[in-house]
Amino acid sequence: MLNVRDIRHSFGPVHALRGVTFAQTRGEVVALLGPNGAGKTTTIRCVTGYLTPHHGSVTLAGHDLRKDPIAARQHLGYLPESAPLYPELTPTQYLDFRARLYRIPRRQRRLAIQKALDRCRVADVATRRIGHLSKGYRQRVGLAAALVHEPAVLVLDEPSNGLDPGQIREMRSLVRELAADRTMLVSSHILPEIEQLADRMVVIAGGRVLAVGSGEELRRAHAGGTRLVAEAAPSSGALDAPTIAGARLIENAPLEGNWRRLVFEPVSSLEETDILSALAAVFLLSGWRLRELRRDKPSLEAVFMRLTESAAEPSPKTKEAAA
Amino acid sequence: MSDAPAMTMPFAPALAIATRELRSFFRLPVGWVVLALYAALTGAVFALDTLRPGEPATMRAFFATAGILLMAVGPAVSMRLFSEEIRTGGIEPLATAPVGDLALVLGKYLGSVLFLGAILLPTLAFPIALAILSDPKPDPGPIVAGYLALALLGCLVLAVGTAASALTSSQTLAFLATLLVLLGFTLATSRLPAQLDPRLGELFAGWSPTARLRDFARGVIDPAHAVYFLALSGVALSVAWGAVRGRRTG
Repeated sequence: MLNVRDIRHSFGPVHALRGVTFAQTRGEVVALLGPNGAGKTTTIRCVTGYLTPHHGSVTLAGHDLRKDPIAARQHLGYLPESAPLYPELTPTQYLDFRARLYRIPRRQRRLAIQKALDRCRVADVATRRIGHLSKGYRQRVGLAAALVHEPAVLVLDEPSNGLDPGQIREMRSLVRELAADRTMLVSSHILPEIEQLADRMVVIAGGRVLAVGSGEELRRAHAGGTRLVAEAAPSSGALDAPTIAGARLIENAPLEGNWRRLVFEPVSSLEETDILSALAAVFLLSGWRLRELRRDKPSLEAVFMRLTESAAEPSPKTKEAAA
Repeated sequence: MSDAPAMTMPFAPALAIATRELRSFFRLPVGWVVLALYAALTGAVFALDTLRPGEPATMRAFFATAGILLMAVGPAVSMRLFSEEIRTGGIEPLATAPVGDLALVLGKYLGSVLFLGAILLPTLAFPIALAILSDPKPDPGPIVAGYLALALLGCLVLAVGTAASALTSSQTLAFLATLLVLLGFTLATSRLPAQLDPRLGELFAGWSPTARLRDFARGVIDPAHAVYFLALSGVALSVAWGAVRGRRTG
């Protein structure tokens, strides 16, 4: 549905994108993650056709954005970061304007507008001036405008940016509803929100793709995956075997008294919950006192930090040159 | 809906943009202020300089002032066309809609031209009043030619303004740039020729808009003059088109 191939873009001497590649299948929700200045917005602007990349290609619903921009853009719905709207118009008037831009025939226009207003929960303010609406409402009007022509691909750039916590919650639930039945590319730096929403994530820094995968895949590849953590106190029995109940002991650290913190890495194909049960049984059979046994998922934030920090670290060659 | 985009007419998006622009002028105070100011100032000129007992029934004074006012009002109308969209980011949803860059420029330009029509419309009351009040009746030729000149000059001013607006996110800068280009061009083609070598001076003078406007004021409708204004408008719109296209490459 969306195919981004080796796009590069520069602003004067600054290389904003240095070869970004990813693809998105129909119905898939992909998140673009990256620190400020990573190239997320430039990527989104290239994907939406606002910018023409200096190199590479973007294909949207089978249409090359460079060769056939009008047909490609007909399949696109886009909500830019600041949801720019016309304050002098009402939501209905604005959506009517957008519907006309997308050549929705007059007979279908009213229905399409009402559907988008209802879907984005802005029907109650449909006749009020946009300039008089709260930021949360304005953001949802922008979203309704992006949806009015039922696009195949919806692109959202930081949809909850600048909203208060209540508005963020409202926007998040709306975006989650929309994600259920459409192809969506969304950029955000609110990681827990993005993990709940996205099927896959594309991590960008310095204009390059650092990693692509689901949250679990990224954790496994870049943060060692799930750990099983036990806090237990030994009695007579010893627990020094390297592999116990399908989990390898990778850390054995003293806590207060004779309590110890033991960290295991699952190494068998068993479900993690089964390994946890087996571990609990081993502890109890060995006569250990067990006060806690839990599964520790590395946070996506940790993965993100590790990826982006390693990308920011200068290479040995750069270090030498700097010295 | 997206799988089978319903095609209406090829310029439907441009018309949608033009309609929105026109309506926005009337939804914003600035539109009404410009309209009221133009009507008030030209009305004052008409009342003081044209409706004079014993004077011939001619609207020359009105057209001369209306033309000068247009040079100031036009940039005020066109300055927000693109600059405001660039400043607020509104250009993004527009430039990512299935609208060609040329259609985008033409739509915005058409909206401003229609507003110019709305500005000129109330002034039609003046020749009607003149026809009612004066005896002998005024010659309709110079009046028709005068309005044609105003429309053509307005089209040129707005086209230059559209280009300036497409080049900057600052409305003030767009306004000043339009004014400077128009005044600079007018002065260069009317004053400079006298200072130059006769052959070069003649070439410069041939480009003068004031000489052509003078012809219109005499009631002469020369198609070459119309082509001149429309061609220059086309050049300015090409610059605007280039600016919009250039923005895509960063």
